[in-house]
Amino acid sequence: MPKARLIDVSKCTACRGCQVACKQWNELPAEDTRQRGTYENPPELSGTTWIKVEFRERPGEWLFRAHTCMHCTEASCEAVCPTGAISHNGEVVIIDQEWCIGCGYCVQACPFHVPGKDEEEGTARKCRFCIDRITNGLEPACAATCPSGAITFGERDDLLATARQKIQTLRANGHPNATLYGENEMGGLHTLYTLTDRPSEFGLPESPQPATSTAWAQWLSGAVAAGAVAALPLWLIFKRKKKIESEVEGGAG
Amino acid sequence: MAWAPPIWIYLWLAGMAGGGYFAALLIERYTKATDHKLLRLATYLGVPMAVIGVLLLVIDLGSPLRFWHLFTQFDIASPMSLGTWILLIWVIIAVVLIMLWWLSNKLSEEVVTSIKKLTGILMPIDFVLSILLIAYTGVLLAVSNQPLWASTALLPFLFVASAVSTGVALLILAALASNAISKGKLVELRICMNYLFGTTDWSIPEKVIERLAETDVVVIVIELSALIGYAIWLAASSMSGAGSALGLLTTGVLAAPFWVGVVLLALLIPLGLEIANWGKELGKKSVTNAIIASSVCVILGGLVLRAVITIGGQL
Repeated sequence: MPKARLIDVSKCTACRGCQVACKQWNELPAEDTRQRGTYENPPELSGTTWIKVEFRERPGEWLFRAHTCMHCTEASCEAVCPTGAISHNGEVVIIDQEWCIGCGYCVQACPFHVPGKDEEEGTARKCRFCIDRITNGLEPACAATCPSGAITFGERDDLLATARQKIQTLRANGHPNATLYGENEMGGLHTLYTLTDRPSEFGLPESPQPATSTAWAQWLSGAVAAGAVAALPLWLIFKRKKKIESEVEGGAG
Repeated sequence: MAWAPPIWIYLWLAGMAGGGYFAALLIERYTKATDHKLLRLATYLGVPMAVIGVLLLVIDLGSPLRFWHLFTQFDIASPMSLGTWILLIWVIIAVVLIMLWWLSNKLSEEVVTSIKKLTGILMPIDFVLSILLIAYTGVLLAVSNQPLWASTALLPFLFVASAVSTGVALLILAALASNAISKGKLVELRICMNYLFGTTDWSIPEKVIERLAETDVVVIVIELSALIGYAIWLAASSMSGAGSALGLLTTGVLAAPFWVGVVLLALLIPLGLEIANWGKELGKKSVTNAIIASSVCVILGGLVLRAVITIGGQL
């Protein structure tokens, strides 16, 4: 039975305890940032920030969401990785730090903009789901520290059942667009969300696609351009014109 | 930004190297030329370009000394893995071709005949690989989740058109340089030429150069249409962020390099210069100068295109 974590945004108070706990457990350095006119900090996930609370302000309310690796079943990062450094064991997507060459392709491929290139280490890094903790019967650091119970860890099926119930409650209580996110996206995520509104209101793609989903169309586009279109002017000008010229010359001669 | 200048310089160099080879081989087939004059120029220039491009790529890795991990797997789903192998084999075959051609300068007729058989097999293989190579420079970006790269299927098309356009421009400059050296008085350069080609006269017929310039006009028109199609597709795409990604190019922070560097430098200026001199004899100095200027614009504009797209996708 795969494990997962459920993030209930309706319980999040944006204390950012998860950010601190993650930094501490994974011994990640602080980032040098500037005041941008918001409590949200740092501006984005990176090779040294693996979870952060995003702040979105609407008239009369704040939308908070802890953003971190979704641990997709059909993980784009894993699909495009040219060295096989990224692997998926059914619940956790891990970048092997001994094998990653730091090419940055996973950074471009992730639909959630999660992995970051760590220039110090020379590799791509992201949330490891505290693999060292969960394989020893502990919760991930973010879930363990969360004081409001917004981040919980457990069996994915159990969390989905809890989440469905929560969505019912939210919908019945003034959140008609409440959405369970992650059940089927990208083959099933291992970071699930109960959202109080549509995913796009929380900065999440409504229908995320694996980076490789259009690969064949893209190769075909390149081949068509080369095969038909680029060869055509060369043929017109070098072959056909030569033929016409020789016919003209032949006629004149 | 995970992909820095070395990446877009690489995409430009690899495209030009592959595009030059692609065009040179087709021209040889269409004109039934057997001297490989144009193809040898394309290969002699393409190999160092591809090698420099690869060195830039390796430098840009977070852990450059681990680059060999790329050669431990062949993953057809990962364009970067596939591209690594395409590029490697393309370069190896091109180097073998160069060595065989160089050897055939010096050896007896009988050996040359068997060498010709071998080059006859290798040349078309590298032609197929050159198509994959130039397509891959676009596919690499398109297989991602950055809206500017991934929300249409026209980026590989655009990059292939640009690769062939820059490749043809490179052939024009190389042919003009080769002619100048062949007819020139600089003994050192002619010694160099004799060493590479086994003769001090490696001149390309002016007719071929005129037609290369005409070819570039058509390829530029195709590239321009691809760019317009790409922009329309981006504007219409349902992928979130596609519209604002297009805005970055047309009115946003990249508007200046896009309109000046891509639309004017890579497309409209060369198009104007070449149309103005269409059908004129190359012998006239003004015509030659216009063709040189247009080719330089195409090549530099190709670099700006790679830069604008690579940077824009990551903003």
